[in-house]
Amino acid sequence: MLENILRTLPQVLFDGITLGTVYAVIALGYTMVYGILKLINFAHGEIFMTGAFIGTAILLAFSSLGWIGTLPIIILVLVAMFLTAGVTGAIGVGIERIAYRPLRKAPKLIALISAIGISFLLQDLVRFTTEFANDGNFYLIGPELFKSNINVPLSKMASFLSDASFKTSFLFVLVTAVALMIILDVFVNKTKWGMAMRAVAQDRDTAALMGVNVNKTISLTFFIGSALGGATGVLFAVQYGTIDPYIGFILGLKAFTAAVLGGIGNIRGAVLGGLIIGVVEMFAAANLSTLTNHVIGAEYKDVFAFIILILVLLFKPEGLLGKALHEKV
Amino acid sequence: MWAAAGLVLAVLLPFAASQGDSYESFMDVSTMVGIYVCMALGLNIVVGMAGLLDLGFVAFFAIGAYTYAIFATPQANNFLHFMDFPLSGNTFWLFILIGGLVASLFGVLLGIPVLRVKGDYLAIVTLGFGEIIRIVFNNMDKPINITNGALGLSSITPPTLFGIQLLNASQFYYVVLVVALLVLFIIRKLEASKVGRSWRAVRENEIAAQAMGINLFKTKLTAFAVGALFSGMMGVIFASKQTFIDPTSFTMLESITILVMVVLGGMGSVPGVILGAAVVTILNLQVLTEVSNWLTDLSVNGGIAIPDVLSPSKMQRFIFGLLLILFALYKPKGLIQEKNRIVDPKKFTEAGENAHASN
Amino acid sequence: MPMLQIKDLGKNFAGIQALKDVSLSVEPNSITAFIGPNGAGKTTLFNMITGVYPPSTGEILLEGKSLLGCKPDEISRRGIARTFQNIRLFSKMTVFENVLVGCHNQLKTNVLTAVLGLPFTKKEENIAEKEAYKLLQFVGLAESLNEEAGNLSYGNQRKLEIARALATKPRILLLDEPAAGMNPRETRELTDLILKIRDEFKLTLILIEHDMKLVMKLSEHIIVLDHGEKIAEGNSHDIQNNPKVIEAYLGTGAVAK
Ligand SMILES: Nc1ncnc2c1ncn2[C@@H]1O[C@H](COP(=O)(O)OP(=O)(O)OP(=O)(O)O)[C@@H](O)[C@H]1O
Ligand SMILES: [Mg+2]
Repeated sequence: MLENILRTLPQVLFDGITLGTVYAVIALGYTMVYGILKLINFAHGEIFMTGAFIGTAILLAFSSLGWIGTLPIIILVLVAMFLTAGVTGAIGVGIERIAYRPLRKAPKLIALISAIGISFLLQDLVRFTTEFANDGNFYLIGPELFKSNINVPLSKMASFLSDASFKTSFLFVLVTAVALMIILDVFVNKTKWGMAMRAVAQDRDTAALMGVNVNKTISLTFFIGSALGGATGVLFAVQYGTIDPYIGFILGLKAFTAAVLGGIGNIRGAVLGGLIIGVVEMFAAANLSTLTNHVIGAEYKDVFAFIILILVLLFKPEGLLGKALHEKV
Repeated sequence: MWAAAGLVLAVLLPFAASQGDSYESFMDVSTMVGIYVCMALGLNIVVGMAGLLDLGFVAFFAIGAYTYAIFATPQANNFLHFMDFPLSGNTFWLFILIGGLVASLFGVLLGIPVLRVKGDYLAIVTLGFGEIIRIVFNNMDKPINITNGALGLSSITPPTLFGIQLLNASQFYYVVLVVALLVLFIIRKLEASKVGRSWRAVRENEIAAQAMGINLFKTKLTAFAVGALFSGMMGVIFASKQTFIDPTSFTMLESITILVMVVLGGMGSVPGVILGAAVVTILNLQVLTEVSNWLTDLSVNGGIAIPDVLSPSKMQRFIFGLLLILFALYKPKGLIQEKNRIVDPKKFTEAGENAHASN
Repeated sequence: MPMLQIKDLGKNFAGIQALKDVSLSVEPNSITAFIGPNGAGKTTLFNMITGVYPPSTGEILLEGKSLLGCKPDEISRRGIARTFQNIRLFSKMTVFENVLVGCHNQLKTNVLTAVLGLPFTKKEENIAEKEAYKLLQFVGLAESLNEEAGNLSYGNQRKLEIARALATKPRILLLDEPAAGMNPRETRELTDLILKIRDEFKLTLILIEHDMKLVMKLSEHIIVLDHGEKIAEGNSHDIQNNPKVIEAYLGTGAVAK
């Protein structure tokens, strides 16, 4: 049994890390907004999903223009991501303006309800826009961009491993996601705007007294978080092909778990959390059946993120890299 | 006064409508209104009174429904061999209680880890729980077939009363009416008691509530358990009424629908939530389908072509999403806002005199 | 035996030493004041006595028995009640219900008995209601019993917090800046009310207050905190003439009279 698990481990790691980077970038959006507003932005998973649709639509447009195959694919995808990020960033800012800002002083429960509302609204807007444009189908299949598979002949290196393979898009997703995270980290820690964000997250009133424009900073946070979420949606669509309006929900749930696991409010924690959740999920998908002697199988993989969430909240609510906070009384 | 009038109306209304097909569909909607009213009242305890945002409430409904469905079909023969299933329709009445208690037990089991967690995380954890329960029911057809997986359970035994099988909606209506009155009675009693007061205190201010000697965890757990109890009971009725259930009846959309009822009606307000549940159920089952049909008619008969995409019956998420946002922004207290109990100070004049004497 | 004893108490908030090695004791049926400039750690001390935060170091004894590890609701049951500096009423509930919540511990009702409406449930509820009304009369809010607590004036909200705390039948009552936001007339009334509370309810009072006139008038014992440390204690005369206290206050711009 263990041999089997070990044999497939490299493949599990490839798949897990790909998925994990997607979770990680989405988790960044949750963490940034939570850090600054202390609000779970339920709509964030939907922003990601919207990004996936916008990006795929742009790529399909490129494809119908005949650009795919003539222009370098990486450039095309980057352009699509860039455009998508702009749109979803703007959507994020709009959502904050309309649905969250008026409720900043309202009870938390009301703000959460508004967030759920936005999330549902977005799902359906994307659903019927897609059905309009796509002959009544609510799912979308993007153009195939990265056709080749790379084989890693691990069995030649060590006899106890099987070969692993990944789509070339894996490398692209990985490199782009890592680049996004590095840019964000530098932005938050090294720039004036990043400093304002950290200041508002720590103490909104004091930050305002020090001359930070709180509303602008919150808008900026939403823009960046949502732009990243949208861009990740494009990456997801490129890597996994088919998308539907409901992918944001469960993915959002897992990404949120990643954010909590890493320590909510903590950017590096979100990345760590995302990778852990991604790998655990893929490991579960590959080995649950073997491990439990076929009692339960891969269909239970989604349960794991949830169990991790509960365990973390119970035993280490501040997360792996977060700091424990007490509510001031 | 109001309550009496409502009751008379609820009992007599069915007689007013004509018999026949449209009568049955009318009674069907009325029955569903009753079921949702009870569920919304249950969720109202959790969200409205105790202030705990539960986004996976339908899980308890599912647990109740499956509890009955598994034993009221041959399904239970797959894992229990000491007796023969399905159980007879006479057991239905007992199962209303059992289903409620099982759901309540799950509420407690979920609550024990989850209610120690900070308030806003609760929303996402319950959301996850709702999904998990659905995944589990969807896959518990192996290794032992307990729930029959995605295929669902069909031919669920309908209830039997005095030897008569209850088969049509007009009969279920009265079953639901009786249960709804019971639920209402219980909620009214709790609301006015120390229990209801501590729920509201916890909602208003956890730290102050604790300082008054209220055990936060126990208080929240009670709210969770009672809410789940009602939801589970209605699950049993739902299963027996539909005679068929599968995991698709218990999605997050359902949980959010019940939340919309509570928010729309007025969080914490019992009459509000009843109104909210009625409005949303009728909107869902009647108005949306009829408007859709009407629109289809229009386009079929050569009028204006309304694309099927915009068919209102498909737009539930849009409509509910919009309602949640609008109510959160502009009418957070709902259609009928929660009212506080007013006491008559005269009640205490004697006590008042004593206080004066001691001064 | 002292009513309340605090030994080497310390509290650390992620790097901020809010309280350091504070020891003190409070005599039964006395009025003690904690004073000190903003951020001195007074509220933090209250929060540890009432179990809101666990102390980082040290010990708290109520009549010789440790309170460590007790949750706030257990501490309430053991006889310590408090009011809050930043008022924490159940603001959407009525004035009357706020006080009734304070009666929580003396009611034995549970879900089952509440639903069944057993006679004892009704009886104890009636007793609690009468008491709640009496307390409202005591603090002068009987007229407003059906008003939403959040709609009361600032001064009345503070009084309601006191009535609510008294409803838990405490042996020690902690008041965190009870006069904050009150006008001079209200402050005078409050001073009388506090004295009346001590005498009628036979309890031990500890108050945090910035209004020195009120502190000097009421307190038999004053403890001065600064930067988390106890810098002085004694009666009002000792404190007024203590150079360390004057320095602590003048250093932050406040004036001790
Ligand atoms: N929950 C908390 N987290 C972090 N720091 C805290 C917390 N509570 C209090 N502090 C810090 O502890 C120190 C003491 O605060 P405390 O509220 O006890 O002061 P105080 O003496 O009551 O002041 P004031 O007169 O302004 O009420 C302050 O520096 C404060 O910022
Ligand atoms: Mg203070």
